[in-house]
Amino acid sequence: MPGSMMQPDLSGVTATGGTRAAALARWQDNGWPGPRVEAWRYTSLAKLSDLEIAPVASLAGSASGPGMAAATGIAAHVIRFENGVVDPAGLTGLPGGVTIGDLGSDEAATARLAELAPKGHPVSDLSLAVMNGGLVIDVEGTVETPLMLLFEGDDRAASAHPAILVRLAAGAKLQLAEWHQSSVGLSAPLIGHDIGAGARLEQVKVQAEGAETTHLAATGVALAAGASIHGFSLSTGGSLARLETHVTMQGEEADCQLSAIYMGRGSQHQDITTFMDHAVANCTSNQIIRGVLDDTARGVYQGKVHVAPDAQKTDGQQMSRALLLSRKAEADAKPELEIYADDVICAHGATVGELDATQLFYLTSRGIPYEIARSMLIEAFLIDTIETIENETLAGLLRPVAEAWLAGGEAS
Amino acid sequence: MTALLEIRDLHASVGDKPILKGINLTINAGEVHAIMGPNGSGKSTMSYVLAGRDGYEVTGGDILMNGESMLEMEPDERARAGMFLAFQYPVELPGVGGMSFLRAAVNARRVEAGEEEIDQLGFVKIVREKAKLLGISDDMLKRAVNVGFSGGEKKRYEILQMALLEPTMAVLDETDSGLDVDALRIVSEGVNVLRDPARAMLVITHYQRLLDHIIPDYVHILAGGKIRKSGGKELALEVEESGYAGIDDAA
Repeated sequence: MPGSMMQPDLSGVTATGGTRAAALARWQDNGWPGPRVEAWRYTSLAKLSDLEIAPVASLAGSASGPGMAAATGIAAHVIRFENGVVDPAGLTGLPGGVTIGDLGSDEAATARLAELAPKGHPVSDLSLAVMNGGLVIDVEGTVETPLMLLFEGDDRAASAHPAILVRLAAGAKLQLAEWHQSSVGLSAPLIGHDIGAGARLEQVKVQAEGAETTHLAATGVALAAGASIHGFSLSTGGSLARLETHVTMQGEEADCQLSAIYMGRGSQHQDITTFMDHAVANCTSNQIIRGVLDDTARGVYQGKVHVAPDAQKTDGQQMSRALLLSRKAEADAKPELEIYADDVICAHGATVGELDATQLFYLTSRGIPYEIARSMLIEAFLIDTIETIENETLAGLLRPVAEAWLAGGEAS
Repeated sequence: MTALLEIRDLHASVGDKPILKGINLTINAGEVHAIMGPNGSGKSTMSYVLAGRDGYEVTGGDILMNGESMLEMEPDERARAGMFLAFQYPVELPGVGGMSFLRAAVNARRVEAGEEEIDQLGFVKIVREKAKLLGISDDMLKRAVNVGFSGGEKKRYEILQMALLEPTMAVLDETDSGLDVDALRIVSEGVNVLRDPARAMLVITHYQRLLDHIIPDYVHILAGGKIRKSGGKELALEVEESGYAGIDDAA
């Protein structure tokens, strides 16, 4: 009875009817997926069954964490969420070409977000229903200033449910950073990127949540004709993190580059799940995934590429590699190709390995201490992935986070 | 005078297989020794044992550098104490930039010696100077370590590392393998420049031709895990003429 755990008064949601009420009804029917649900076989949400869904209603403090410093470093406009609640300070002084509205009161936008949201994902329903920070971000033309969505908050009893629809008008161009660094109990962002014809979104996400936080992100992307998204996620935080992204190519000549690095130690669980839907012809998608796991950490990559019967000339690639630094670490990869067209180039691959003993010997034989040699090899393993990011500004956000992880400390 | 390197009745195994069966060798500062031997004689095992590679287990005897046993030292500790191995097969390190690799190695050495770490700019200058002597281009220096290098380039890059790290005891494992005549000359000149009264070298080779360029003070013939014969540089010529067969028989 997941519905019984609802702390906030949701009668308002039910009363409005429409998309959110339907989402709430689905959530109340389905709740958290159990271990028998194929998509959640490798990632158990059992510990969430005791969690109180407790969205916070109002804002408490002000920005503090390193995310703000990172934003300042790239001169980004920051829209900050605290425990899931939007800080209105970020809604003024917007860069030219950007307008922001309230999602909850915009039924059409809410319905569009529901359309983009990963189907069957609990957060798609839950966060839509109980959102405590809902925004529609509209973008026109080329926006020079990067936007940063900064998610903070230290209320361990809270669950954060920001719901955001980012709409790029035809030909628009946006650089977007998502920075998650909270210590809430559950961080459950629902984000949709609705990318218009010929528009381009350059996006990075940093997931550096606190050690006790469960991070469950549901992201949906729709690409119109000639649209492109170059996205990159770096996931190092949380006790359990799953970054799930569903992409639909709705127009031809769309291009999706979606890469990710996950890093886990201790008993962390890191999950990257993607669904790439080539619904129309002549689109390209490319995913490079790298994982580094130490101690008893576990990593999961599930990537499905679906090519519809009419989606000829599709080019869909995915390659995942995991590096195990400990004998007790575990990596699972489930790459899937589901192809119904006959003239396509699709490839996938997955490897799991350890650091190369010969390479380590070569480095140490030059006097480089073992720990440094090890870090150099891990960095080398990750570097070509980070180098796929064309946007240097956004790429610059990731290196310090990865380096902090390699240095052994928390990213905070 | 304490020898720079003293190998005493060294026994070593790889897996359960004994390879070195009682090596005795003393090398003083300033000397260049050559070890020659047929395939499977234990030449490469000896170089790895000296460098401290995992899986090459010393089962008896001792290796002393400046009178101190190295057996308990890790490869990086040995290197910082002055040991250097030029690899027969230099290892490719995709994603590891050449400059940061060289700098990490040099700085590890400097920190050990209580010196300040060298800064990026000053370092690039030093590397370029030494690289030029070895015919190593800027482009090669910018690439990932050994990635996309030809066989000859890899060997030159080994000698560059040696020039930068200034070891007291340099072991060159089959540095001539895979080199054409010109590359052999460049590499040998690079090595000869580093001959120094304070430095010793151990040149391991299958063929005599390298020793035409790097002229050793002493030559030792290794076969079946033991040094069978020692002599001056003329011993190398003897091997060139009559091969290793006679020496094996003598054993």
